[in-house]
Amino acid sequence: MTLTRQTVLRLALAAALAPALPATTLAQQGDILIGATVPTTGPLSLTGKQYLNSLRMAEQDINAAGGIGGRKIRIVFEDTQASNSTAVNAFMKLAQETKPAFYFLSSYSTQNLAVAPELKKIGVPAMYAGGADVVAEQGNEWMFRIRPADSVAARGMVTAATTILNAKKPGILFIQNDFGQGGANVAAKQFEAAGTPVVGMEAYGQNDKDFSAQMLSLRAKGADVLVLFNYPQDGALLLRQAKMLDLKMPIVTSSAALVPAALQLLSPADLVNVWGVVDAYMDASVGDRMKDFVERYRKMFGTDADPYGLAYYDGALIMAEGMRKVGLDPKALRDWIAGLRDWPGIGHVYGFDAKGNGVRDLAVVKAKPGTKTLELVQTVKVD
Amino acid sequence: MADFIQLCVNGLALGSVYALAAIGFVIVYAATGVVNFAAGQFVMLGTFAGVGMITQGALPLGLGYGAALAAMALFGVLFFVLVYLPLRKSPVVTIIIGTVAIGIVMQNAVLLSFGSWPFRLPSPLDGIMLQIGGAMITAHAVMVVAVTALLIGLIWLLFYRTALGIGMRAVAQDVEAARLMGLPVNRLLALSWVLAAMLAGIAGLLLGPMWFADVNMGDPIALKAFAATIIGGFGSLPGAIAGGLFVGLAELLGASYVSSAYKDLIAFGAMILFLLVRPQGVFGERIQDRG
Repeated sequence: MTLTRQTVLRLALAAALAPALPATTLAQQGDILIGATVPTTGPLSLTGKQYLNSLRMAEQDINAAGGIGGRKIRIVFEDTQASNSTAVNAFMKLAQETKPAFYFLSSYSTQNLAVAPELKKIGVPAMYAGGADVVAEQGNEWMFRIRPADSVAARGMVTAATTILNAKKPGILFIQNDFGQGGANVAAKQFEAAGTPVVGMEAYGQNDKDFSAQMLSLRAKGADVLVLFNYPQDGALLLRQAKMLDLKMPIVTSSAALVPAALQLLSPADLVNVWGVVDAYMDASVGDRMKDFVERYRKMFGTDADPYGLAYYDGALIMAEGMRKVGLDPKALRDWIAGLRDWPGIGHVYGFDAKGNGVRDLAVVKAKPGTKTLELVQTVKVD
Repeated sequence: MADFIQLCVNGLALGSVYALAAIGFVIVYAATGVVNFAAGQFVMLGTFAGVGMITQGALPLGLGYGAALAAMALFGVLFFVLVYLPLRKSPVVTIIIGTVAIGIVMQNAVLLSFGSWPFRLPSPLDGIMLQIGGAMITAHAVMVVAVTALLIGLIWLLFYRTALGIGMRAVAQDVEAARLMGLPVNRLLALSWVLAAMLAGIAGLLLGPMWFADVNMGDPIALKAFAATIIGGFGSLPGAIAGGLFVGLAELLGASYVSSAYKDLIAFGAMILFLLVRPQGVFGERIQDRG
């Protein structure tokens, strides 16, 4: 073989470009690529880090169990930050450069809504954890929700307030975004239907740090139970300020205020008279698989896992089982997930309805007296 | 009435923190002509300096506060040397963009160093509640108001009763004239940045126990402090104080007596109104008056 100057130049060019080869080429070499667009920096990274960790753990476990037909999976992460446009850019980068066989999208509904049209064009199945009902109402057949929808969570909170706490004059305090406003509206309608209309609804901004005006207003209106729709850090701050204001009424808080990142900010006294309606009760007593997940997560990442992260872990295991059963064809994989019923995950029993909602159960928890250890009060299943 | 007292005290505490951040804005603007859009991140850094020294470093509170403020003073010097000096001859827009960029760098540096989980910074008055007119007031909130009042007094003394402060005001009025008078202009400019950083540090240490420490706390502070500065008057110390207290009180009283959903409209609506009708703010100098 004679090496011409042109051949040498081509070889040199190929060598120089090798590190920049698209991931599809790597995929052909063996790994099955999975895309994950989650917030790893910015204000939403508090929860985004849990998704990142849980997906990494799932990747390790799936590969340790033989991968998919002998091929390993590799999850490629892109940061969505706290911006819809960044989420779309992150998704498009993966779609164009990595071409994953499956996607995990963030848990922020506005980001899910922004990405949904692009996902539909590409036609690859995806799991997401945004709670807003409108995401599923759009009827995008490629999207599967792995957490309770906000309306499900709101109904669970109303059930807790009316049946456990016997609320007669509930008041609602909500974060002013798609999650808070949507959840508060559903809860208000549910309270109305239960014959216990709310005495007041107050809002706060995502960056607000003082909630005394809203809480005092609800107390002045005679609220006998306070129902909170919040994110983690503001949830912790709300619970703390409620104690500082000496509010006597019981509080029902949404899941975020009791995730480990929020709990570590609170004292046992802050949790007195507080009930949480959480996505899943994460305690070793739930069973061996939960015990294993909770303990290994802590060992791997040095922090406690939360129910949001667990949803992504379960989602990855569902994806892996689907790939093992029907292969990587997007339509076949989509159809397999859509037909899933009573799939026993660690956090939930999953089963997807026609709109792609996979979870309809929640847990009501409360801190054991004098501690921050949560105990299960009851589970709530919303049909 | 008890609720009104409660809201006023909480509003004053919140407004005091905005005022401290606004004073930081004013000192830097008056001395250098730079609008420091990293001011909110200065406060965030102050809180995390406290977290580093007290929560993670396990220093006693007094020593921890001192170490955190020393770190902030050092940061002020570094900011002057590494950011302001290289950019000072650039167009104002370049410097402003520089402060925005350095704010982003600061936020992400803290995120990388401390992680995304928030921290709880202790207060020397943790758990102490005062009952005033039926309202439950935290002793920490009262301390915030008192410390802010004390600092305002000290800043006034510095600027109007010491040679150093008068020199800083002279530099603020006219840099060239100050240089011709033999004043150490660079040292005085550096001192302005150090003072701004230390005030932000104190604001951060006061805020930490009230809000929790998190890497995203700077932006809302900067926005509110900016509104306070516009309303009070850019370049005016009394304006920064009045503006800060107005924004804090408007936030809480507005949420209670107008609407919690539109409470920010009051402060930012007032800011827009001032920009349209009286751009120099309540106490601010007329733009053409500045040397």
